[in-house]
Amino acid sequence: MSPRAVLALAARLPGKGSDVRWLGLLLAARLLAAVFAVLLLLVSGLRDLEAELVVAALAWGMVSAAIIWWGTTIRSSPAWWVADGTVCLGLVVLSGDWRSPFYLLWLTALALPAVSVRLRRVPPLAVLASGSFLAVATAGGPVPGSLGPVASETLAIHLVLPAGLICGLAYAADALRRLDAERAQRERLAIEAERRRIAFELHDSAKQRVHAAHLLASSLRGGVDPSLEASLEQTVTELESASADMDTSVAELRSPLEGRPLADALRARADELALAGGVRITVRGHAPELPPLHLAHAFRVGAEALSNAIRHADASRIVVTLEQELGRFALRVTDDGKGLPATTRTGATGLLAMESRAATIGGRLTVGERAGARGTCVLLEIPIEKETTP
Amino acid sequence: MIRVLIVDDHPALRAGLTTVLRAEPGLVVAGESAGGETLEPALRRCRPDVVLLDYHLPGEDGIQVCHRLKRTVLPPRVLLYSAHASPALAIPALVAGADGLVNKGVSALDLFEAIRLAARGDRRLPRISQALVADASSRVHIDDRPLLGMVIDGSTPAEAAETLGVELDQVNRRTQRLLGALRLEIPT
Repeated sequence: MSPRAVLALAARLPGKGSDVRWLGLLLAARLLAAVFAVLLLLVSGLRDLEAELVVAALAWGMVSAAIIWWGTTIRSSPAWWVADGTVCLGLVVLSGDWRSPFYLLWLTALALPAVSVRLRRVPPLAVLASGSFLAVATAGGPVPGSLGPVASETLAIHLVLPAGLICGLAYAADALRRLDAERAQRERLAIEAERRRIAFELHDSAKQRVHAAHLLASSLRGGVDPSLEASLEQTVTELESASADMDTSVAELRSPLEGRPLADALRARADELALAGGVRITVRGHAPELPPLHLAHAFRVGAEALSNAIRHADASRIVVTLEQELGRFALRVTDDGKGLPATTRTGATGLLAMESRAATIGGRLTVGERAGARGTCVLLEIPIEKETTP
Repeated sequence: MIRVLIVDDHPALRAGLTTVLRAEPGLVVAGESAGGETLEPALRRCRPDVVLLDYHLPGEDGIQVCHRLKRTVLPPRVLLYSAHASPALAIPALVAGADGLVNKGVSALDLFEAIRLAARGDRRLPRISQALVADASSRVHIDDRPLLGMVIDGSTPAEAAETLGVELDQVNRRTQRLLGALRLEIPT
């Protein structure tokens, strides 16, 4: 498969470009191993049964490659790794000699589990791989030790190679994962710092100038020509609105989370609100990894729902749950208050703002009655972008 | 004539305030300062009746500066001038001995009125709600709560010292500790 073909396919596949390139490389290695094994068999001359073996090896090479390429969920399941490894080892056994070229095909079957498992499970995996090949060698082929010192050395290489391969690949995959996480964290911090800087500039420079202009304009009241009085009044009003707008922007720019996890920030807000007395608020669960903007909006929605429950519903018990379910994150605020009014108040800006926040981050807000009891339930659902693993 | 000293770190606002106050009969801008090290010389030079003090100053915040000004011999009246209309600022302002709390968003006429009231010795601070008092007392050390209560009730430091049976110096030190505990993290 040429690099260009891989890239062209990559464009049509979900997931990161580097993941697809890595997958293409793996499959190329696997097909090459299958073809190489078959060629070796053909060159050394086919004996009985080996024609079937050649067909089986080619077929498995193609089928497994197709499954790995298209089966996003299958390729990351341990059952598939076991099945693939068993078939490859089966080919080795059937060929009647543990030094069979199908060994190469088996090696390529180890790559996926090696990059997918956690680092602490890598040593057992390596031992398992070497152990199962030793079992195959003992059971299937000429018994090791019966072939003299040269063969023993070959066996040693055959046993060390899978362990080395697994450890090396696992280490590289783990390093990449850590690098990714670190970069994401750095990006988050940089965005946070930039927003803080803009907020600071807005508050410290622009807003002070607006205050000065407002002060100057308002001092002219009553002292100017009556024909100008109306436009002066308008100017003062506009300046007041500008100042209010800036306050809103500054508040929006400053992330309410300040680096805390969502659950902790909501808990802190709950404690502040509970100070007013008469209400018990519990926060359960925690949020998954989400973009900072999503978390900030989720926090504002949660905080607004909390203060609504206290201010309008006279709730005495509020439960906030954060859950991760099937590709989405759900934030639920349930209270035991008097429920929703029969008709929505005109200008219920709080609710509208919550809905627009949910829409901004591609989420959905549902406000309804609490199931089976008195009270209200506010539910915010945000889709989680699924991470693709190679 | 009421002599006013403007303390604000922002030049545009200082210029605006100077222009506006200069045009108002009865008020005179005795000087201006950006806060920090320039404050002391400005105070000595112009001996103001009223100090219009910004809350956000580089280094020490307006509350701390206010408390320091109020401990001098013949202290000036101090009006805290804040861009944040947060009512939570009322208790720290009261504890620091401020004579008034003015939002930067008010019109010129309201500002003149506030300066005149302060110069006359009228102390006007926003009403302090029960929730604010509860919040403030939950944040201060338990030993400082009686002092906080007395200050909110309107006692002078001297009266507080007498009631608590301690020296005035100690009341001042404890007031400083109160201000530290009540310090607001107002976004800048």
